[in-house]
Amino acid sequence: MDVSINGPKVLFTLPFFGGIDVSQSVVSSWVVLALVTVFCLWLTHDMSVTNPSKRQIAAEKLVLMVKELVENNMGQNWQHFAPLVATILAYSFCSSALSITGLRSPTADFSVTLAMALITFSLIQLYHLKSKGVFGFFKRFVEPVPVMLPMNIIGEVSLPASMSLRHFGNITSGTVITALVYGALAAFSRLVLGWIPNTFIANIPIFQVGIPAVLSVYFDMFSSAIQAYIFCMLTMANVASAAE
Amino acid sequence: MKYLDFFTIDVWTIIFTWANMLILLTIIKKLLFKPVTKVLQQRDEEVKKMYAQANEANEKAASLEKEYNEKMAQAREEAGEIIKQATVSAQKREEEIIASAQQQADIMTKRAETEIAQERKKAYQNIRDEISDISVAIAGKMVQREINAKDHEALIRRFIENVGEEK
Amino acid sequence: MERAIVLAASAIGIGIAMIAGIGPGIGEGYAVGQACAAIGRQPEAQSKVTSTMILGCAIAESTGIYSLVVSLILLFANPLVNLL
Repeated sequence: MDVSINGPKVLFTLPFFGGIDVSQSVVSSWVVLALVTVFCLWLTHDMSVTNPSKRQIAAEKLVLMVKELVENNMGQNWQHFAPLVATILAYSFCSSALSITGLRSPTADFSVTLAMALITFSLIQLYHLKSKGVFGFFKRFVEPVPVMLPMNIIGEVSLPASMSLRHFGNITSGTVITALVYGALAAFSRLVLGWIPNTFIANIPIFQVGIPAVLSVYFDMFSSAIQAYIFCMLTMANVASAAE
Repeated sequence: MKYLDFFTIDVWTIIFTWANMLILLTIIKKLLFKPVTKVLQQRDEEVKKMYAQANEANEKAASLEKEYNEKMAQAREEAGEIIKQATVSAQKREEEIIASAQQQADIMTKRAETEIAQERKKAYQNIRDEISDISVAIAGKMVQREINAKDHEALIRRFIENVGEEK
Repeated sequence: MERAIVLAASAIGIGIAMIAGIGPGIGEGYAVGQACAAIGRQPEAQSKVTSTMILGCAIAESTGIYSLVVSLILLFANPLVNLL
């Protein structure tokens, strides 16, 4: 068995700042960007006011769904937050579901999920600062008693850590398990077809057809959707509570 | 082939991810939210406009109905007046006709009566003339015969009395 | 020799880390059971109960996922070996 679980492959290196490694995750993200752009363009081209096509109805439904989600979880006056939530949803879901095509999911890279969680974290801190002022922002850490300072800091930092680790862990476990199953199925096919003298035929991994699709439905589709939803929910809930 | 670590924090990947998400945010804002919101707003406006138009039409219809009702009432009144007038004039005319007919009938009756009276007078005259003739003839005959004064005195007297009475 | 000891200890550590899978298992089982009871009581609220349950399960699962991450790190990107 030659199953190797690696980090993202470095595809090329940009010659700035002593070499920027552009890994698989970043290139996959670009694929996601392209997909989302094409999807948006396809959804919203030739829209009409009076006679909407099915495509347009889907686009409107999508937008209204996100807006409703934001409204339900954050409140009436947070409508401007909807595009950001939609971005997180789209990026997270498309990145995770990209593994269905055989590309490496960007979200199976801890740096990517950490970057997403840091966006949420900075938003939370920003809204704390906005709603409480500079004094209130720092006073928050020594409440209710100054002894709680380390606890409060840990509590504050643990949010992005838990969010990024949860997302990363779910998608990575899917990737790892899928890779292991692929390896096992290849080994099993070799065992079954090993008596054929022709090495080419003997190496065809026949069992890799079909069986991993069942796993893919759970790990790629279900898990991705759930994780994207949770990420958005946590972002919305925390930002909304920070702004109070 | 170079691999990044399985579990690592790569600063450049983080920066690339931020850039990617910023681009994605712009794309979603510009390409999905903006046009869809625009269309929804336009539709809202159109619906509002339609409602306003419908209200206007309703008001117009209501006013038209009122006008129509008024006109109908007026027309009915007029018709009633016309009928009344017609009835009055017809009654008048009827009375006139009846009166004139009565008059004519009266005239005719009078005329008939006078005619009858004249006829009667005429007939009476004729009969008297005849009686006088006959009596003259009878008198002549009686004169020719032998008059038995004793027998016929009374008869002649009565006869002459009768004739005189007729006068 | 030291490397072998570290690797063996890591392997044992991976196994011990995955014991954390018990917690989310029990928690999610309890949550799903309660959700089933809730649906039994109020079948008309099924969709809401189900979505809330899935969200809660996914969040409850995170402790298990953390242990999985720890074990995956020990498996594929063992930092302890590099310390030697």
